[in-house]
Formats: sequence, structure tokens, C-alpha cells
Amino acid sequence: MAGSRAGAGNRPGLAGQSLPHQTKMTAAMTLPTAVPYSAGRVRGAGALPVGQGADERIRDQVMSEGQNGIKLRARDLYFYYGKEVALKNISLDIATHMVTAFIGPSGCGKSTLLRTFNRMYELYADQKATGEVYLDDRNILLPGEDLYRLRARVGMVFQKPTPFPISVYENVAFGVRLYERLRKSDMDDRVEAALRQAALWDEVSGKLSQNALSLSGGQQQRLCIARAVAVKPEVLLLDEPASALDPISTFKIEELIYELKQKYTIAIVTHNMQQAARVSDYTAFMYLGELVEFGDTNTIFTNPRKQQTEDYITGRYG
Amino acid sequence: MPLRAPKPLWRGRRTLAGVLGWSGAVLAFVLVAFPLLDILYLITRRAFSAFSLTLFTQVTNGISGGLLNAITGTAVLVAGSLIIAAPVGILTGVYLAEFGHGRFGSTVRFCSDVLTGVPSIVLGYFSYVTLVIGLGWQFSVMAGAITLAIMIVPYLARLTELALQRVPNGLREAGYALGMREATVIARVVVPAALPGVLTAVLLSTAISVGETAPLIYTAGWSNYLWNGRFTHEPIGYLTYVIWSFINQPFASAHALAFAAAFLVIAAVLVLNIGVHLLLRRKVPAH
Repeated sequence: MAGSRAGAGNRPGLAGQSLPHQTKMTAAMTLPTAVPYSAGRVRGAGALPVGQGADERIRDQVMSEGQNGIKLRARDLYFYYGKEVALKNISLDIATHMVTAFIGPSGCGKSTLLRTFNRMYELYADQKATGEVYLDDRNILLPGEDLYRLRARVGMVFQKPTPFPISVYENVAFGVRLYERLRKSDMDDRVEAALRQAALWDEVSGKLSQNALSLSGGQQQRLCIARAVAVKPEVLLLDEPASALDPISTFKIEELIYELKQKYTIAIVTHNMQQAARVSDYTAFMYLGELVEFGDTNTIFTNPRKQQTEDYITGRYG
Repeated sequence: MPLRAPKPLWRGRRTLAGVLGWSGAVLAFVLVAFPLLDILYLITRRAFSAFSLTLFTQVTNGISGGLLNAITGTAVLVAGSLIIAAPVGILTGVYLAEFGHGRFGSTVRFCSDVLTGVPSIVLGYFSYVTLVIGLGWQFSVMAGAITLAIMIVPYLARLTELALQRVPNGLREAGYALGMREATVIARVVVPAALPGVLTAVLLSTAISVGETAPLIYTAGWSNYLWNGRFTHEPIGYLTYVIWSFINQPFASAHALAFAAAFLVIAAVLVLNIGVHLLLRRKVPAH
């Protein structure tokens, strides 16, 4: 394990490309190879399992297949609340089946960035994004994009749990019915699978017909994750999914993120830097609407390139 | 929860100010509560002496008999007004909350507030001119129910709007994030979340309908008989008419019926208000 990573990191010509948006080779205009892949990761106090075989495979795949390893690409992205600029010239790549964390002080634009990936901002007339965001090879910011399809492919979980005021079962089944017609037994299977994926099945299997509001906050949040994964999205956007939860629920959500990335590409916004360090493969540090530094989580947290990043992660400001 | 301010140490002028303040508050409470309790006491006492089984089994016979025609008549009129007003009022409320942000919305809002302020007897007279005379319906269930409906539609609309506005935007966003269309978000997420508030609006409007007299005098008339199922050209009895009319008769039997009717109306309104209270106490999703 360590060997292959070290090997990758030492490859000539590949070093120093840990800032994807700075990579502008001619060929790279269509082939952004610049997913940071240097070795090692920070794991908070060994709280999470260390077996990273899947990462290895995927990482190799990223290297061999180039852009097939990139799920989401932002290019020259600007975002406006009315006339106020909230994101300035953001370009970054989000790697397939990896967890990318966005950190930064309040108001730095990390949630805003997340909300451009499924165009949630469209709900508000005064919000606007310019630039390009590619989901696979499709620019989803183009006017013709089918937002309903987009949101089936890019799921989102919010800071506060938002279960619908209906039964646990219906919460999960509801989203599926928007896109598929399933027989009762198939739907039952789908609901169970989603609840299992969200590590909630054991706790709610006996009360599927209960109102979802009767669940605890942590359970509600995992129900929201189940609801999102039941639709079988390709990308999961998590907007501070654990910030309203107690430490035990937080731990469960973090474990879950680790499991979920085997199937989904995950982008997570968090205020909690330890959490970013624990769950993510890549970390983006944002400040005042700009992407200050983006790279391998381990590098960002142990050897950041920019003074600003170091100040933030060591708690000198923010 | 009311705040519990820290208790001051009672000394001198503070004590005096405190005593005066407290006495004022108690006096104000008594002024409000005493008439209410007195009314309730009087009506309950007089009604109980009038209560008997015949009240619920027989129709009114001149100034005596029972109230069966009036009880069922009130039920028919209130049900009719709800059937007409609930869809209109609730849909208007949904429109105002979800789409009515422009000029048309504020016009609707303004008109509905004005309608709330129109004295109910004016509505009754309006219906008398247009429905009872104009359309030639005569005193009838239809004219009465439509008049009550006109009266409660603005309450339903504004209370529904309020209930929907209180549904947090996070819940709407969650619906859209799943890829729901606007109609689905409103019908399957927002309205269900606001349901306790909407039901409250319906119950309050029911209570208003049950207790109204003026709009019905001009439109429903009065009948000693049970409703025969005709919507027009057939007057119908109702409880508030008994209160309004029979109390003026110089006969003990008429007074007994009036107090019994008053008791039934107050009991119905009380039950509806308790229902509202229970609904509102139920936990509304907080996000």
C-alpha cells in the first residue's frame, strides 16, 4: 500500500501538480489529469477504518484513465448574490468515488459552491452563476439543463435534518417514485437497501410506518441521507451534515461517509477541520469567495503551501 | 413560554408600585373574566333546567317543542358553507403563500382583509338582494350557506397563507433537491407540513359559522320543520335564530328554548376551540 503510493508520488513530472486548477497543459484543457494523488492521509485518532484498498484501485484508475476519474469540474466559476460576488474564478476538479471537503470561515462561499453543483441556487431569483461546471462531460450550467434529472444525479443533504412530515418508509420511497415505477416488493427492497446504506435500518426497521419527525436528530439526518441515496445519485453533496448533531451521531455520519464513497462521489462542506481531516481524500480551503488551496487532505493539513491555509487550520483565524 | 423575570426585593416605593401594578392587573382580569363567567353561568343554569330528551328528538312547535330542526339546520348550513368555502379559501391561501408575491397577490390580500372587516349583516343583506330576491331562490339553504361561505373565505385564505409561510424553506429546498417539481413540493411537502395550521383555519371558520346570526336572518329564513333536502325555495331553521327571536317572546317555554340553543352554540364553539388548541400544540416540524 505505502509502496504504491510513494511510487506514484515520486513519478517524475507529476510532482507539484497538487493544485488542479493551476494545471493548464495544452492537452489538459480537455484532460485534467491534475487530481492530487500524493500519498498518505490524516485519520483522526484512528476513528475510522484504515483499509484503503478501494482508494488505491480508484487512484490507479484515475491515473490510467485520465478524466474518467473526474466527476465534477468547475471552470472559471463566478457566483453572484445580486451584485455581490460570492465566488471568484473557481476552477477545481472533484474526483470520482472520493470525498472532497470544503473548509473555510463562514461566508467564504463553500456552501454556495456546493449549491452550484445541483443548481439549488436557481430557487432564488437574485442568485446567478457564470462559468462552467461539468458533470462528467456535460456543462450543467447551460440553460437547457434538465434540473430534475440533474438533481436525481446529484443528491444533497442539508445542515439541518429535513425529513418530510410523512412516514419513514414514505420519506425514502418518495424520491424513488419521482423517477421509477417499482412494484411494491421492489420498492420495499429499495427502501431497505437505502436505509441499510445509511446505517439506519437496524434502528427503524420496526417503525417504518411511524412519522419521520418522531426520530432523533441524528436518525433524521441519516434518513435524509437514505432518501438521497435511494434515488441512486452519482454525486452526494453534504452541506455541513453533522454540524447540528451530537458527537455520537456525528461519528456515525462520518463512518457512513467512508462507506458511501465506495459508490458515490462525495463533496462535503464542514466547519469542523478535524472532520475534514478524518473523512476526506481532498480538501479545498476557501476564503472570501476564492479557492486558496486545494489538494490532498494530508498535504493540506500537514504541509500547506500557503500561509493563509496554515493560519486557518492551526486556528489562528477563522 | 412566558419569561420569568427576576423577582425584585420588595421595599418601600417598589412595594407600593408593585401592589398597585398587581391590583390593576387583577382588576383588569376580573373585568374581562367576570362577564364571561356570568354569561356562562346564566346560560348553563337556564339551559340545564330546559334540557330534556325532547330537545333533541322533536322539532320546534310554535314557541315550544324541541330543537331538532335547528340543530340539524345549523349543521347543514355550516357543512354547506365549508364545502363551498374550504376549497376556495385554502387554494387562495396556497396561492398567496407560494405565488402571490406580485401586485395581483397583494390586491387579493387587501380585498380579503377588507372582506373580513365587512359587517356580517351587510353580507346578509347583499345576499338577500342578489340571491334571495335577485336569483329568486327565496329563503334557502343555498343562500345561507353561500353567505356564510363569503364570510369565512377570507379567514380561511389568510390563515392558510400564514400556516404555509411558517413551513421552513429548508423543507422546500429538500423537496427540490430530490428533483421534485413545484406542484409536487407544494402538494406533497409544504401543505402536509402546514396541515395542522390549515385544519386550525377550518375549525376556526366553522366556529365563526356556527355562531353567526345576521347573515342567516336575511338568507335562510326560519323553518319549524326538518330540512327536506331542497337547496332553494325552502327555508331552514338554525340555532342562532332561536336565541335571537325566542328570547323576545313573553313565554317561559320560548325562553327555555333560547337558552338551550345558546348553550348548544357555546358548547360547539368551545369544542371547536379546544380542537384548535390541541392541533396547535401538536409539534410542528421545526427546521
